[in-house]
Amino acid sequence: MTPLLEAEQLVKEFPLTRGVLLTRRVGVVRAVDGVSLALAEGEALGLVGETGCGKTTLAHLLLQLLEPTSGTIRYRGEDVTGARGARLRALRRERQVVFQDPMASLNPRRTVGAIVAEPFAIHGLLPERSRRRGRVGELLEQVGLDSAEANRYPHELSGGQRQRVGIARAIALGPRLLVADEPVSALDVSIQAQILALLRRLQRELGLALLLITHDLAVVRHLCERVAVMERGTLVEVAPADELFAAPRHPYTRELLAAVPRLPRPQSPPSPSSPSPSST
Amino acid sequence: MSAALTIEDLRVAFATEEGELRAVDGVSLAVARGRTLGLVGESGSGKSVTALAAMGLLPAGARVSGRVLLDGEDVLGAPAERLRALRGAAIAMVFQDPLSALHPLLRVGAQVAEAVRAHAAVSRAAARARSLELLELVGIPEPARRLDAYPHELSGGQRQRALIAIALANEPHVLIADEPTTALDVTVQAQILALLARLRDELGMAMVLISHDLGVVAGAADEIAVVYAGRVVERAPAGELLAAPQHPYTWGLLTSTPRIDAPRGAELVPIPGRPPSLVHPPPGCRFEPRCAYARPAHRRLDPPLEPLAGAEAHEVACLLPEAARGELWRRLAQGASPAEARAAVPLAEDAP
Repeated sequence: MTPLLEAEQLVKEFPLTRGVLLTRRVGVVRAVDGVSLALAEGEALGLVGETGCGKTTLAHLLLQLLEPTSGTIRYRGEDVTGARGARLRALRRERQVVFQDPMASLNPRRTVGAIVAEPFAIHGLLPERSRRRGRVGELLEQVGLDSAEANRYPHELSGGQRQRVGIARAIALGPRLLVADEPVSALDVSIQAQILALLRRLQRELGLALLLITHDLAVVRHLCERVAVMERGTLVEVAPADELFAAPRHPYTRELLAAVPRLPRPQSPPSPSSPSPSST
Repeated sequence: MSAALTIEDLRVAFATEEGELRAVDGVSLAVARGRTLGLVGESGSGKSVTALAAMGLLPAGARVSGRVLLDGEDVLGAPAERLRALRGAAIAMVFQDPLSALHPLLRVGAQVAEAVRAHAAVSRAAARARSLELLELVGIPEPARRLDAYPHELSGGQRQRALIAIALANEPHVLIADEPTTALDVTVQAQILALLARLRDELGMAMVLISHDLGVVAGAADEIAVVYAGRVVERAPAGELLAAPQHPYTWGLLTSTPRIDAPRGAELVPIPGRPPSLVHPPPGCRFEPRCAYARPAHRRLDPPLEPLAGAEAHEVACLLPEAARGELWRRLAQGASPAEARAAVPLAEDAP
């Protein structure tokens, strides 16, 4: 089967400059250094790595928010590297993104309803006001918000609710791929679990492919079928999640896994009604 | 063994437009030298305000009552001058974001030396020598070269080590680390937690480790206090708290945390709703509005923090009968949902 999205030998270099007024180029940094990766329709792939490893740059290349220095991006088998104008806009509808900090990614002066309706306006879809309102209400309900929240402003919402608004906006145009860049790392644990449950439900209900970018391996374990581990611009290991967590092959993957703080397994306290756990 | 830091019935309130916000509402804690107390809770639960109160760093508008004893001396009523003498020398703090806690335009060595000279009348040369010792102590590679580096030239982990060096400059008895690893990568986090444990043992400090992450605290603390809406709702030795938690909020934290050792597809159990307003907290149990097991009476009754029968070291503030709590957790730990656990365990309608 043709993958939904495929990257081949992607490279992204950024110039290194010196000086303030008379800047001169003194070299390049290879943020992404020859990455090949395929994502299947409906698949949840985790992209993990530490600060500065290039995972966000890679995501921006895959979303075509950045142009690669070299390499190819294929969408449903079609080479879309360097796509522009109407073609790029059409591709954008298919690939949407949820950011880490919903406060920074939601316009504070617009109502929730206006924020969620914005993708329709940008893409010239659904022009009638009456229908737009109905669709916004549906989207809000789909992400677990009351449709009445449409009249509120981002600052009136909690962090978890704001992230839901960001997700509603991202799924508004019916994308096939959702890229979530650290979607829960700014949230408290109890809220984090709510958002993870929402992402999982949407992925299943809408058949979305999910690219989850995070430093948190436990979140990846929870949500993803396959994991790609990135270190210094390259993928050092790509494997099914069960395999990677049970038997990591690359030393860097092993190092990452060993560093994760672990909760002891929950134990059942001895119960007066069933003194021996083996009796149950 | 007497505690290096004791907090008794601490209350901190701030005036807001809506009314008085009680950020900390009757918190009592104690930590002995050589021990680590983990303080776990979500944003706004009052854990950082508790730490600031212990440091005497609350903003001027705060209304404070209770006692904060540092080696027996009450710091809450202490004059500003005395507080300045105690801060750094008796108690010190490490913050979450090392980049904003370090001065960007001063060399690292100068900032460590400043901390040394704040409490000891020593020459510049002696302060520099001591700074070098401190950078060595916290495991910064090539410490002599790093003395002359600027903060932006260090990695995140090295910056956090430099901040720890500053905190330790005058060998405090109590070290408060507020989310010390939250901004760091997981491999660096593991190194910093190991460093803090080593320093606690070598210097015989009492440590308070504040975190929203139960996993971080589980591996690093001897004792854990779970804070919710300005109160300690459960306190126990770490192993005991994680193996046999008693409070429904602690259960919620445990079952909502993704686990690296759980299979994909294992369901997380989010805690529904969100923390209550601290201006108008619920009149009864503060967790009642989010609690799957609350009885109608729990809306009126405010549970005190009380030791379990026969386990002085394990305290909980919950109105459910102890036997029922044991049964509920037993089922949750086996993977039952809150609704299933509740259906299986009879909770008397008339029970407070």
